[in-house]
Amino acid sequence: MPDDRDVSNVRVQTLERIAAHGQVWSQLASKYGVGNPVPPWKSSLDAMCDALDREGITLPLLIRRHDEDRLSDQVYKAVPFPESQLLALAHSLIARNVIDEAALADRMELVRPRLESR
Amino acid sequence: MADENDRFETLPDGGQQHSTPMVDEITDFEVLEIALRELAIEKGLFTAEEHRRYTEFVEQLGPAPGARLVAKAWRDPDFKQLARQDAIAACREIGVDWLQPTGFGTPSDFTSLQVLEDTPTLHHVIVCTLCSCYPRPILGNSPEWYRTPNYRRRMVRWPRQVLAEFGLYLPEEVEIRVEDSNSKHRFLVLPLQPPGTEDWTEQQLAEIVTRDCMIGVALPKPGVTSNGDRPVHPAIHPAENY
Repeated sequence: MPDDRDVSNVRVQTLERIAAHGQVWSQLASKYGVGNPVPPWKSSLDAMCDALDREGITLPLLIRRHDEDRLSDQVYKAVPFPESQLLALAHSLIARNVIDEAALADRMELVRPRLESR
Repeated sequence: MADENDRFETLPDGGQQHSTPMVDEITDFEVLEIALRELAIEKGLFTAEEHRRYTEFVEQLGPAPGARLVAKAWRDPDFKQLARQDAIAACREIGVDWLQPTGFGTPSDFTSLQVLEDTPTLHHVIVCTLCSCYPRPILGNSPEWYRTPNYRRRMVRWPRQVLAEFGLYLPEEVEIRVEDSNSKHRFLVLPLQPPGTEDWTEQQLAEIVTRDCMIGVALPKPGVTSNGDRPVHPAIHPAENY
């Protein structure tokens, strides 16, 4: 069972690069004239959180939420919600050695071409 | 009249076809969400089937059931009595089963629910000081501001001041009671029915019962059918006082 240690001092460069790129939904929605207040991946993110809460051991709800509070305030302060929620979840899982940062970066390299294929 | 966001595509015959605006960019966040989910499934943290069912659950959530409950309670004294005494049973009457909100259970929502009835001298407001516990089966997902340490910490200390920041100014003679939610206890505010709505139908009444009214940061008002914009204030050192 993970403890409630502060993971905001763990640097995750893959996530820092995403945060710095700044492709946030509020700006994209405005740019493309879309009225949906949240990005299309938000319900999937919420479902991930629910599924982790149900599993209850890898990243218990309170630890997940405390991490999110700290990370949103200290590491991803410039990133709006819900992008900050997603970054915080990924950061927690990496900092707590559940997901490997390199594996995540590699998987992102595989996912993007899939989404861009026509 | 066309909305300013409406778009039109030119067809081969020179005519035009309406097209819905869409974001034509793959974002890093979209890619990250998929990559993280795939790795979590491969690690066995949850299954793809569990994730799919939770996604379906999340996508059908919203504040409409809560609004129906409040409107029905205003119109039907027996139902109001039931809502106050056994809110879970009252929810079943409006089609929400808290014991099986997804059809396969959500531990974070399996809980007791209490309906908090306002009176002319007592106003309720809900918060979750620990994280963001919220009556999702009947109110949907919590708004961003409800999740912030700023709201959570300050509402229990200075409720009158925080309510005023939401534009809700209550007279001094009205007591404010803040109820702190947790993983086992969720709350819903049953506000006073506004004057002048006595002969309204349940549907008309439900339209003015906004999410914010059921959290307790707003009062129902004829003509107001949506939540106001809320500024999100950053907190100073939010994680230090748990």
